[in-house]
Amino acid sequence: MVNVNDLSTLKILAEVQANLISGGSIFLCFDGDTTITWKKASDAFDMDIFSVGSKLGNDSIVHRAIVEKRTLTVKVPRSLYGTRLMTVAIPIVNEEGDAVGAFSIVFPRLHPVAAAFDNFAPILAEMFSEGVFLYITDLQKFIHRQGSKTFDLPEQVGDELKESDIALNSIKTKKMSFKEVDASVHGIPVLIVNYPLFDEDNKDEIVGTFGIVIPKKTATQLRNMSRNLDNGLSGISSAIEQLAASASQIHANEQELNKDIKGIISLSDEIIEVSVFIKEIADETKMLGLNAAIEAARAGDAGRGFGVVAEEIRKLSEQSKSTVPKIKKLTDGIKTNVTIVSEKSGSSLHASQEQAAASEEITTSICLSKS
Amino acid sequence: MREGGKSVDINQLIVFTLEEQEYGIDISYTKEIVRIPSITKIPDMPAFMEGVINLRGKVIPVINLKKKFAFAQSEKGMDDRLLILDLEGINLGIIVDDVSEVVKINEQAIEKLSKEIATIGGNSVNGIAKIDQRLILLLNALELKHEILILR
Repeated sequence: MVNVNDLSTLKILAEVQANLISGGSIFLCFDGDTTITWKKASDAFDMDIFSVGSKLGNDSIVHRAIVEKRTLTVKVPRSLYGTRLMTVAIPIVNEEGDAVGAFSIVFPRLHPVAAAFDNFAPILAEMFSEGVFLYITDLQKFIHRQGSKTFDLPEQVGDELKESDIALNSIKTKKMSFKEVDASVHGIPVLIVNYPLFDEDNKDEIVGTFGIVIPKKTATQLRNMSRNLDNGLSGISSAIEQLAASASQIHANEQELNKDIKGIISLSDEIIEVSVFIKEIADETKMLGLNAAIEAARAGDAGRGFGVVAEEIRKLSEQSKSTVPKIKKLTDGIKTNVTIVSEKSGSSLHASQEQAAASEEITTSICLSKS
Repeated sequence: MREGGKSVDINQLIVFTLEEQEYGIDISYTKEIVRIPSITKIPDMPAFMEGVINLRGKVIPVINLKKKFAFAQSEKGMDDRLLILDLEGINLGIIVDDVSEVVKINEQAIEKLSKEIATIGGNSVNGIAKIDQRLILLLNALELKHEILILR
C-alpha cells in the first residue's frame, strides 16, 4: 500500500522508470472511483484505453485492490485488451488508512523468443548463405521482422496476417508448419517454416508464431538441373532404344539378305548345271555333224548337198558350245559379285550386332545413372 | 583321189587335235567318230595298242597315237574321241583329243615334207596344210596302217 503523501515521489520515480523497463510500461494513478487521474506511458509501449479521465469497471483489479486494500498482481489475457498484460495494482491510503485510490503498473507480457528477437535475429539473419527473413507474429499481425542483406520481404511490423500466411496454420494446428513457395510469389523459390509460440505459463495457449523464410534458389536450380538431366537422359535413352531397335532391324535385314544371296549362288550353280547340259548336247550335235560330213564325203558327188547340211549342223553346234563358256563367265561374275556382297553384308551383320550390343550397354548405364 | 600312200591329192580333211597340235586325215579314210567306249585290253601288245572295242558287233583295234608318237601322256579329257578309220578294208580306231572340223583344202595349200626330213623319222606325216595362220599336219593313213599292222 502507498501512502497518499508519498504519491508525488512515486510519480517522479515512475517518470524515470517507464522507459527503463524493457518492453515498456504504463504507470497509472486512480481515484477511489477507479477513474484515471494520472498516467505515464513509455515510448515503446502505450495503450489508448488507459488515459486520464477513463474509468475502469468494478471487475477491474484496480477496483478489487481498493476494495480489498491489498496489492494485486494479475496476468491479463489477450482477450481483454488485445495484448497480453501484466498488471500490478497497489491501493493508495490516506492518514486514516482508508483506501482512496490506486497506483497501477501495466507491463506488456512478451514471449521470451519475441523479447529476444532483436538480439538474435540480426545475427541469425547473416548466417544463411542465401540470406533469410525472420519474423514473429502475434495472433493477428507481424510484430517483429528481420531481413538480411541478400534477401528480404516487404512485410512490415503491424501488417495483418493474410489467409495465405502459414502462421495462421500454425496458430490453428498448434504445430510447426512449413511450405515451399515457387518463384511466382517472391521472385525466387522459398521455404517457409513457422513455429507456434506458447504462453510461458500455459503450454496449451498459443500466443504467436516465429517464422523463417529461406530462399531456395540454389537448391531449386540444382533440382531443376537434375530434372533436366533426367529428362535429357530419358530422351537419350529412348533414342538409343530406337537405335537398338533399328539395329536389330538391320540385323534381321542382313540375315535375310544373306539368305537371299545364298539363294542367288545356288541359282547360279543351277545355271552352270544347265549350261553343262547344253555343252553335252552341242558336243553330241557336233559329232553328229562330223559323222554326217564323213558319210557325205563317202557318198561322193551324191552326198555333196548333204555335206553342206552337215557342215551347217557342225557350225551350229560350235555356236551353241561357244555360249557355254560365256554363260559360265557370266555366272562366275554373278557368283563373284554376290560373294562380295555376301562378305559385306556379313561384316555389316557383325557391325549391326556390335551396334545393338553397344546401344544396349549405353541404355543400361543411362538407366543406372538415372536411378 | 586315192592313189597310194604318198598322194596329197585330197580335197577334204578331218581335222583333230593331239596335244594341242592339229592333225588332218583324208576324209575318205575315215568312217565315223564315236565317244570312247570301254576298251578291252589284249595282252602282249605294244604300248600304243590300247586294245579292242566292240562297235556294233564289229571288233575294232584301238591305238593311242600319242603313245605311238611318243608324246608325253596326258589325262583323258572330256572331249576325247575315237576316230574310226577305214584303211582299205581294215578298220582301226585312233584316240584323239578332239575332232574339230571338216576342212576343204586346195592342193596348193599343201607343203610336202622333203624326203630328207621325212626319212629322219617315220613316215606317219607326209605333208603340212596351211590354212591362214594354222598349220595342220597331214597324217599318212596308209603309211600308218603299214607301220602298225604290216611292219610288225
